Amino acid sequence: MTSELNCNDCADWLHPYLDNEIGTEMAVRVRQHINRCLDCKARLAELQALRDGIRQHTTYYPAPELMQQRIMSQINRQKPAPRQWLTQVFSVAALTASVMLYLATPSSQDMLMDEVVSSHVRSLMEQHLTDVASSDKHTVKPWFTGKIDFAPPVYDFAEQGYPLIGGRLDYIRHQNVAALSYHRNKHIINLFVIPSNATDSSIHSSSRRGFNIVSWQKNNMAFEAVSDLNNQELEAFVQLILSQH
Amino acid sequence: MKARNEDTKRFERLILPHLNAAHNLARWLLKDAMAAQDMVQESSLRAFSAMGRFVDDNARAWFLTIVRNQCYTWLKQQTGRHYVDIDDEEAMSEKDKMALAHTDTPEAWALRMQNRQALQDGLEALPVIFREVIVLKELEDMAYKDIASVTGVPIGTVMSRLARGREMLKKELLKNDQ
Repeated sequence: MTSELNCNDCADWLHPYLDNEIGTEMAVRVRQHINRCLDCKARLAELQALRDGIRQHTTYYPAPELMQQRIMSQINRQKPAPRQWLTQVFSVAALTASVMLYLATPSSQDMLMDEVVSSHVRSLMEQHLTDVASSDKHTVKPWFTGKIDFAPPVYDFAEQGYPLIGGRLDYIRHQNVAALSYHRNKHIINLFVIPSNATDSSIHSSSRRGFNIVSWQKNNMAFEAVSDLNNQELEAFVQLILSQH
Repeated sequence: MKARNEDTKRFERLILPHLNAAHNLARWLLKDAMAAQDMVQESSLRAFSAMGRFVDDNARAWFLTIVRNQCYTWLKQQTGRHYVDIDDEEAMSEKDKMALAHTDTPEAWALRMQNRQALQDGLEALPVIFREVIVLKELEDMAYKDIASVTGVPIGTVMSRLARGREMLKKELLKNDQ
């Protein structure tokens, strides 16, 4: 024989009872108690009325009519998949015997931009901003050793309002690259450091899908700073790095 | 190419049917029509690129998990770091748990529950962690275990958040009288 529930315990079980989320035995005990206790019966009735009210009277927001179409067209536009265009790049590269030519052509630069913006977005989406979270450059810099075959310059600009958050390994242009994350107020800046043999170049600003990008080339590394931060502050950040090179 | 076509087919079959649920959740979490659309769009693309890794049979819970994470990232960026620092682990006080809308007769209470605007405003006013469990339970009719997987907390926490969320909402609805 099961023991009688008291009101306190019954109140705990009312919600799962209402939601049909308790076992048969407990449901029987709740029902028994409710049949004897007017207060608990009233509590349940109140919750039921609340539930019905929410279901009937709060707004359900279905997806806008064209959303499905927009999603499918964007998915179809992504073809060919990144791996496939890389294959194409490399087959042509074999003919020209140099990937470097590609880095110099605008379309290749376009693809690089798309890749770094996607990577930036992904880093925020997947809450995978850093593999090594530290504002100490002496922690972040050695962390990359053995993971990549070049040494990305790591600085912290906390005093200037751009604190270092940490670093992570990313994958761009078919190779492991370093990504360093910085804060600027509520904005995140990702700085991608990609090995490249192109000749040194000064900074170049552009934007993609609402993100600002500042690019430059130095010491056999291509740098791409990406953020939703305004261009002026992003360039100020880049100037800080250039002052250290 | 073949794998990609396969992904597209699976995406259309498994994910697209839950676009309304995704949008409804995003809209309630963010309270911003444009942002909700953006988040669902981004989440869909992300779901598509992860399609090959999806093996579980509950596509709705899987997709809504992606949408929710996306929305929380947005909320964090908008409101700073401390947006969900609500002590929800604290047990409900006995007084709250046992509270009845004493001023109301059952009929008056039922009538109050027909007040569309008050319900809408009341639910919008709840802290996001309570709002989301009510939306998933009442508007999507999801089981506790699926809500637990979408919100990334144990089933017991889902249960206590629902109970607390409902009691908070009750209080909100009674405010109008005071």
